[in-house]
Amino acid sequence: MALRAAVLRHIQVPVQTLTATGSKPLPRWSLGASLRLFSSHDDHLTKEEVIDRVLDVVKSFPKVDPSKVTPDVHFQKDLGLDSLDNVEIVMALEEEFKLEIPDKEADNIDSCNLAIEYIYNHPMAG
Amino acid sequence: MAFTLRSVKVPPNSASLEEARSRVFDFFKAACRSIPAIMDIYNLDDVVTKSQLRSTIASEIRKNSHVTNPKVIDLLLFKGMEELGNIVEHAKQRHHIIGQYVLGRQGLVQDLDTKDEGMSDFLKNFYKSNYF
Repeated sequence: MALRAAVLRHIQVPVQTLTATGSKPLPRWSLGASLRLFSSHDDHLTKEEVIDRVLDVVKSFPKVDPSKVTPDVHFQKDLGLDSLDNVEIVMALEEEFKLEIPDKEADNIDSCNLAIEYIYNHPMAG
Repeated sequence: MAFTLRSVKVPPNSASLEEARSRVFDFFKAACRSIPAIMDIYNLDDVVTKSQLRSTIASEIRKNSHVTNPKVIDLLLFKGMEELGNIVEHAKQRHHIIGQYVLGRQGLVQDLDTKDEGMSDFLKNFYKSNYF
């Protein structure tokens, strides 16, 4: 009972700061990716975040010259990679966004554009 | 037991180069997807990163990229699957993985002792390999 009261008292503290500051409904968790449990609508990544992370992955690929990487660069035509490198980049993106991309889709991903589009439209992208 | 995880692609006859090529990519994807498990089994987190392992696997595959006979490619794939299966089921040990896939051309033996510095280049090349 004492523990329960202590826990309740502890949980009540943020509500007091809430009334002090006023407007924000979720004081601690409104930064970036919001943490609303049981809601599947808020965890989509923003397009800029997707673009940034995809470009980072491509730039850190050892065979790629980072200065040539733009959001619409083609892996094989512009960056001079071969098809195995293409698959490797797709796997690196899978790792970065914790996805598993089926083979048919992965074969189509040939350029940064397509990668960004696919990941942005994927509901499970993390 | 060895192939329980990876028993999918053993039918030995690829009809054409295209089919063999897609099998190679499937194998590469399977290998990349098991990299986190491998790093966990052998505690490789402070030795190598996932992307380095991916590059190593890709370069091993690329070593045989000049092959055009689909049957030869199938055999190479079979050996690759066997190797991957061995690694994943912990039939190998950490030093095998580090020696074979993490270290580069100079291998496990690094000659940085002072006694080796006065050695001639001829001897250094001789110790490294038969052909120089």
